[in-house]
Amino acid sequence: MLLVGLLVACGHSTTPWGLRDISGLMPSLDFTLTAASDGAKVQGKDFRGKVVLLYFGYTHCPDVCPTTLSLLSRAVKALGTNAEQVRILFVSVDPARDTLAQLKTYAAAFGPEVVGLSGSEAELKALTKRYRVSYGYGKPDSSGAYEVSHSSAVYVFDREGKTRLLIGPTDSVPIITGDLQRLLSETPDARS
Amino acid sequence: MKRVLLSVLMLCMAMAAYAGEPPVSVSDARMRWLPGDLPMAGYFVITSHSKAPLRLVGAASPAFGDMMVHHSIEEAGVAHMVHVDGVDLNPRQTIEFAPGGYHLMLMDRTRDLHPGEEVPVTLRFGDGQTLVVRFRVTGVQSE
Repeated sequence: MLLVGLLVACGHSTTPWGLRDISGLMPSLDFTLTAASDGAKVQGKDFRGKVVLLYFGYTHCPDVCPTTLSLLSRAVKALGTNAEQVRILFVSVDPARDTLAQLKTYAAAFGPEVVGLSGSEAELKALTKRYRVSYGYGKPDSSGAYEVSHSSAVYVFDREGKTRLLIGPTDSVPIITGDLQRLLSETPDARS
Repeated sequence: MKRVLLSVLMLCMAMAAYAGEPPVSVSDARMRWLPGDLPMAGYFVITSHSKAPLRLVGAASPAFGDMMVHHSIEEAGVAHMVHVDGVDLNPRQTIEFAPGGYHLMLMDRTRDLHPGEEVPVTLRFGDGQTLVVRFRVTGVQSE
């Protein structure tokens, strides 16, 4: 709050974002993956017109992934009727265990705004390289279960597919909702 | 099956539950529901009232075949989980098992679970004592 006050007092014409502004630091939204909901191929450009939140994880992740998806989902639902203009893309980095059916059920449990996406190793590599996202697999235990390490960052893209903001684990629902609302209001809803 | 047997064995091996006033209290015990048989996370706040150090070494429940104490850590923007053998509780200390930190990883459901219900979980301490805590199953959107 103090920071906002100081910036305003210093005469900045634009209000700072609540989230970390990463405009221009990452390439625009582009990928080819498979949608868990219907098994169809989808591309980044299919989401033009929506504000997109991009997150990488896996369903056998009891803590961090559902905590993040819950946070994002609550922030999007707080937009009310505008929630329809936002999509949370949950990209599985564990295609060996995350079947499309499982990913579909998982995404649907959080709400219609969450889109479960899967991909071949090559498709995932292309996407994760594009956004400098890292992931790796731990050693399987006696029952074959293993842990997956994955980037905790959530990238936010505007309606034109440009990278704009970064959501971290400490960001709150009101901050996220406020910035999403601002992104939604800055470009006319011409294409959706 | 091996895991279930092991859990039952662990329950049998556990010595008596704390007699009288337990040296720890637990509040806000909850587990976030996830679909199917995906591993879930259990969270709670534990406070020691003991003058001696205590150590939480494990947990078990009839609703799960296996439970582990885990710690989520983030290093250089990468999240991963580590299995911990136990969590030390200093005299009068409060430790929060919370999203993004310490949690119980709850695996191999033995029955369907539904948000709103309560599930008994036996916390096991280094001195062999146990404490049964009722965990509330919360919705997928819970914090």
